[in-house]
This record gives sequence, structure tokens and C-alpha cells, in this order.
Amino acid sequence: MTVAAGIGYALLALGPSLSLFVSVISRKPFLILTLLSSTLVWLVSLIVLSGLWRPFLPLKANVWWPYTLLVLSSVCFQEALRFLFWKLYMRLEDVLDSFADRISRPRLFLTDKLQIALAGGLGHGVAHAVFFCLSLLPPAFGPATFYVDRCSKVPFFLVSAIIALAFVTIHTFSMVIAFEGYAKGNKVDQVIVPVIHLSAGMLTLVNFASEGCVIGVPLLYLVASLTLLHCGKMVWQRLIESRNQSGPTLR
Amino acid sequence: MDRNQQRPRSSILDSLGEELIGILTPVSICMFTVVLLVCLLNSDPSSSSFSSIATAAYSETDSDSPWDKLLGAFLNSLVFVAAITVATFLLVLLFYLRCVTFLKLYMGFSALVVLANLGGEISILLIDRFRFPIDSLTFSILLFNFSVVGVFAVFMSRFSILITQGYLVVIGVLVAYFFTMLPEWTTWVLLVALALYDLAAVLLPVGPLRLLVEMAISRDEDIPALVYEARPVIRDDSRLVQRRVWREQRSNVNDDDVENNVVRAEEEEEQRSEEISVPLIDSSSSSSRPETFLEGIGLGASGAIKLGLGDFIFYSVLVGRAAMYDLMTVYACYLAIIAGLGVTLMLLSVYQKALPALPVSIMLGVVFYFLARLFLEVFVVQCSSNLVMF
Repeated sequence: MTVAAGIGYALLALGPSLSLFVSVISRKPFLILTLLSSTLVWLVSLIVLSGLWRPFLPLKANVWWPYTLLVLSSVCFQEALRFLFWKLYMRLEDVLDSFADRISRPRLFLTDKLQIALAGGLGHGVAHAVFFCLSLLPPAFGPATFYVDRCSKVPFFLVSAIIALAFVTIHTFSMVIAFEGYAKGNKVDQVIVPVIHLSAGMLTLVNFASEGCVIGVPLLYLVASLTLLHCGKMVWQRLIESRNQSGPTLR
Repeated sequence: MDRNQQRPRSSILDSLGEELIGILTPVSICMFTVVLLVCLLNSDPSSSSFSSIATAAYSETDSDSPWDKLLGAFLNSLVFVAAITVATFLLVLLFYLRCVTFLKLYMGFSALVVLANLGGEISILLIDRFRFPIDSLTFSILLFNFSVVGVFAVFMSRFSILITQGYLVVIGVLVAYFFTMLPEWTTWVLLVALALYDLAAVLLPVGPLRLLVEMAISRDEDIPALVYEARPVIRDDSRLVQRRVWREQRSNVNDDDVENNVVRAEEEEEQRSEEISVPLIDSSSSSSRPETFLEGIGLGASGAIKLGLGDFIFYSVLVGRAAMYDLMTVYACYLAIIAGLGVTLMLLSVYQKALPALPVSIMLGVVFYFLARLFLEVFVVQCSSNLVMF
């Protein structure tokens, strides 16, 4: 419904990522490159998944168990890819550290590593929002709107933007948790990220029930806030740890 | 102890990769503007009677069979690539005969034609679309001013770099928009044909672009061409060797379009005072240091990256044509082209010789377009229309 609504839906899904981008990522060119490569990696994952599932599509309407399989397989594939992404990042970190040694600059700080992980997660979130929400948005710029039967209280575009916002948050911060978990070998962090991703994916299946989105979307936001809290707690602990480590040596 | 207070030490992450971003930003702006124009002025492609040398052999109509369309598109591209080859050899001949003034004048003339003619047409389409109230006298004065300033910006090297960069991007946008009005099959086959031509013209020993670059190197001159130059980065570390990566491009509009793409890397260790836009850092260290991976991918050295205008134009044509189908293909093609550009710059630093800029990006872009159109769209629409996401 008009250009204003269209821009509103787009900003709803991508507003926080835009402010993160402007305030943190755009200041360091390397983070912009990380964001672009991360988006590319997740786009490739979506293409591979769609290639695998293409023979079985279109799925029958109103039957929900094939979608369970779809979500399960996609989440497993993406989590495996996340681990590979982390392996690649470790190689890059070694290269960056040796480069810093050569030009006699300090090695990567903890905040640098956290920022790179954040940029990678933001790339994942932006890829999700762009392909699942923004690419279906152009009709919203016209004069009319669209409602889905199963969620008839709000326009389809609004619901998909709200869900996309939750997923952007989940993806951005679970990448930070995952990188720190893999780096420190912390089993809790390593397991919690796939669990969060899977539960978020399964919660969207609740939308299959009639008016299910009334329950599904708030629960999804619960998962997103849990991710945020866990990530914040973990980062705070790491920063305190590193400050305690480097503090006494200055005296 | 005051000296042991914590000073915020700058990390390497602060400035790494600045040159790449300096070239990615204008490419992205050009692509975004072309997509915006295509979406705003979405004229029905089959009804436009755009005729140029690229449709000389065959003009596509909706009623032809796919095989006819493919054959026709193939013939069109053949004619176009042949025309470009002839024009490039002409350029090589003129450069060999040292007619540099003539080439510069021709460059300025083509910039004037693009800005005045194509720019005027697009402005009229936009005014028509938005019902903007303006009279013809004001419009012609504004257009005249705009074109003349553009010609000066392209011609003179002492112009403000921001205005020059802006005008080069505008020229790229205008030419790219007109190329998107070609028929669909012709566009795709033409893009692939140009990528192959670029590969041949730069890497084969008899290729015109390779001859041009070798002549320019041997005479130590710049080829007069429309080239976009990113703002150079000045490092305070004097041990870094200045590296210059540029692509040569001569853009010729109307129906005799000639696009030449060449990538070249040069290490320079002495001052060049006439190049006002590239302040060089005097390097005192030996140039036989072992190259690390980071310097190899161009992130370590500082210097201005130059990219030819033909690359801008054909990347934007690809993305503009993807925009005529759906926005999902636009995002996929944009990411593919950026990835291709990064790969090309990496290969350039590894091989250190003239490399074509089009092939990797165009091939990746075309592959991603068809993958997105055939596979991704069905999958994503299935999932999101049922509000199932992951």
C-alpha cells in the first residue's frame, strides 16, 4: 500500500541491521568485506538447498510434515556450513596476525575478533531478510495489500517483516556466540547455537495452524531475546576476562 | 607512570581493505541507480523499438520459437563483437600513429553525446513519469550546463575528483540503462560473448587490447580513455610499495560502441608529478620482499585502483536485466558480480600482468541469475508464503 508502507516494511525488517551497519561496520572497510562475503556464503547455501529440494516442490498445501523435513534439513546444512565458515575464519585470522607482525602493528584485539564475528552474523541476517522478506516486498509499493488465510489479522508483508526482524537478530548474535564457542572449545556455546536455530525454524511451523502466528511470532521473539541475552552475557564475561588479564601487566 | 597509560592503539583492521571498498562503492552505486531507473521506468521491453547495431541482424519478437530467438541473439552478438573488434583495432592503429590529441577529443565528444543525448532522453522519461512541471527552455539550459561541466570533468585532470567520479558514474548509468532496453535473449548472449571477447582480446598475443597495453607500457604513457579512479589512500608507513592497478576503457557511444577492458598492475617507485590524483609514496626498501597472501590480494598495499567504464556498464546491464525479472535475481547477481570483482583483483595481484575484468564477474552473474530464477525463487516463495522460515 503505497511507497511509504513499502519502505516501512523494509525498514522494519532491516532497520536495526542498518543502524548496526552505519555505526559499527561502515567504519572499518574490512568488516564491510566480511559482511559481503558472509552474505554470499549464505546465498550459496540457500541456492544449494533449493537445488536439492527442487524436485519435490511445489509441496502440497495444508500438509505440514514435508515442511518439517525441509526446515530440519536446511538447518542442519546451514549449521554444518557455519562450522566450515569458522574454520575459514581461523585461517584468515592467522594470515592477519602474521601480516600485523610483518608491518609491526599490534595483533588482532578481542574486540576486533568480536567485530568480525558480528559482521559475519549480520551478513547471515541480511541474507535471510533480503531473500525471505525483501524480495517479496515490491507488490507492497503498489496501491493494494495482501492477506494470508492462516494469519488474517495483519497484512502478509507486515508478518513476514516482523518474522524477518526476529531472524536477523537470531542470526547476527548466534554467529558471535558460535565463533567464541568454537574458539574457546566451550561445549555449551557450541550446542546452544544449533538448538536456537532449530527451535526458531520449528516455531515458524506453528504458523501452519489457523491463526497460529499469534502464538508463533511472540515465541520467536522470546527465542531472539534469549539469544541476545546469552550473547551479551558471554561478551561481557570475555571483555572482563581480557581486561583482568592485561591489567596487572601495565603496572 | 604516565607512559604506561592505556593509549588506544590502532589495529590493522582500521584501514585494511580501504581501496577495495573505494572501488566497490561506485560500482554498487551505479548498479543501484540502474536498477532504480529500470523499476521506475519499467517500459515493456517487447514494445520498445530500440534499434542499434546490437539488433542489426535480428530483432526479437514474442512470437518466435526459442530456437529462433537463440539463433537471432547469437547473430546479433556476433555482429556487435565484430564491430567492437574493428573499432579496437582502429584505436590501436591511432595510438600507434601517436594521434593522442584526436583520441582525447573523441573521448570528450563521446562524453558530450552521452550526457546530452542519452541524459536528455532519460530526463524526459523521468519528467513524464513524475509529472514534474518544467518548461523546455529551463530544461535545455540545465541540460546544456550539465553536459558541458561533464565534458570538462572528463577532459581535464585538475578537476575536483568527486565531481569527476560522479560524472563517470552518471555516464556509466546512462549507457547501461540504454543497453538494458535490448531484447532479452540478445542481452544475455551479448554479455557472454563480450566476456569471451574480453578474455581473447587481453590474453591472446594478437589481441588488440594486449597490443595497446604493451605500447602504453613501452612508451610510458596513459591510454586516453574513460577510466574511473578511486581516491588514493595515503599510508604513513613508508615501507609499502605503491601498487597501481588499472583497467583501460574507452567508451564510445551511439551505435558504434567500443568497449575495451584491460587490467594491469604496475609497481612504481618514483614520483610522477603530472599525476595529481595519485600521490606516490617513495619506497626505499628493496622490492624483493616475499609477498604475503594479504599483499597478494591487494589488501596490503596502498594506491589508487582504476577501473574502466565498460566494466561499470556491463555489470549494470546484467543487474538491470535481472531487475526486469524479479528483485531476488537482482540480489543474487549483485553478490555474484561483487565476488567476481574480488576474485579478479586477487588474480591480478597474483599474476601481475594484464587481465580482463569482465569474464569472471559476467560468468558468475549469469550462472547465479539462472540458478536464482530456476531454483531459488520457487523454494523461497514456497517457504515464505506459508510463513515458514529458517
